[in-house]
Amino acid sequence: MAEKRKYKKRYCKYCESKVDFMDYKDVGALRFSLSERYKIMPRRLTGNCKRHQDMIAAVVKRARAAALVPYSVTRHAVVTAPFENLR
Amino acid sequence: MRNYENLVIIKPTFTAEEIQSSINAIEETITSNGGTIATTDAMGMRKLAYPINKNERGYFHVIYYSVAPAAISEIERRFRINEDLLRFVTIKYDTNREIAAWNHLVEKAKKKADAPAKEEAPEANQEPAQEEVATTEESSTTQE
Repeated sequence: MAEKRKYKKRYCKYCESKVDFMDYKDVGALRFSLSERYKIMPRRLTGNCKRHQDMIAAVVKRARAAALVPYSVTRHAVVTAPFENLR
Repeated sequence: MRNYENLVIIKPTFTAEEIQSSINAIEETITSNGGTIATTDAMGMRKLAYPINKNERGYFHVIYYSVAPAAISEIERRFRINEDLLRFVTIKYDTNREIAAWNHLVEKAKKKADAPAKEEAPEANQEPAQEEVATTEESSTTQE
């Protein structure tokens, strides 16, 4: 009761735009499902459907292996975001 | 024959010629193992998201090719020996949906290679959608 819904009613943005395949090299498109520290955002906050969340998880992990997205961001590194040079 | 994609990150200390020669060597390992290269996409020198072997930057190069699945282990073994590479990522495109995506990516890379100036037009179409997504995320965090 004390804690009401913090977020709006959620819907899957990827379903809406009919995403069938995600490219791990397209980092800008992944940004929505990542937190400030580049953690994968949970489904309950983003509203993604299960199918697309599974795709995101696979794609983000690929991008991490390819050094396109960081694994972890420390307090020291969070200031200089790694995306600034990418685009 | 199955469709694959390889992203390789080449050492940033190399000159342009050395990078080109090592790319040629990489493509040579693929073709010598019976692969046919569909197209390549040079993403260029980029900042790495995290340092690899104390390197902050790297030259990204993507190769789309099709090869018999048995040859992949040999190609990867050669890549592991190759000291020019900081990192490589091999992606398999197997299901119908993935193959369609692979064809799409190959076409996109070909267009990019043909006309670098034209390549900005489709990207501009994509950008507003991404920004929209980003702003909505921000609004959700402010609500909190």
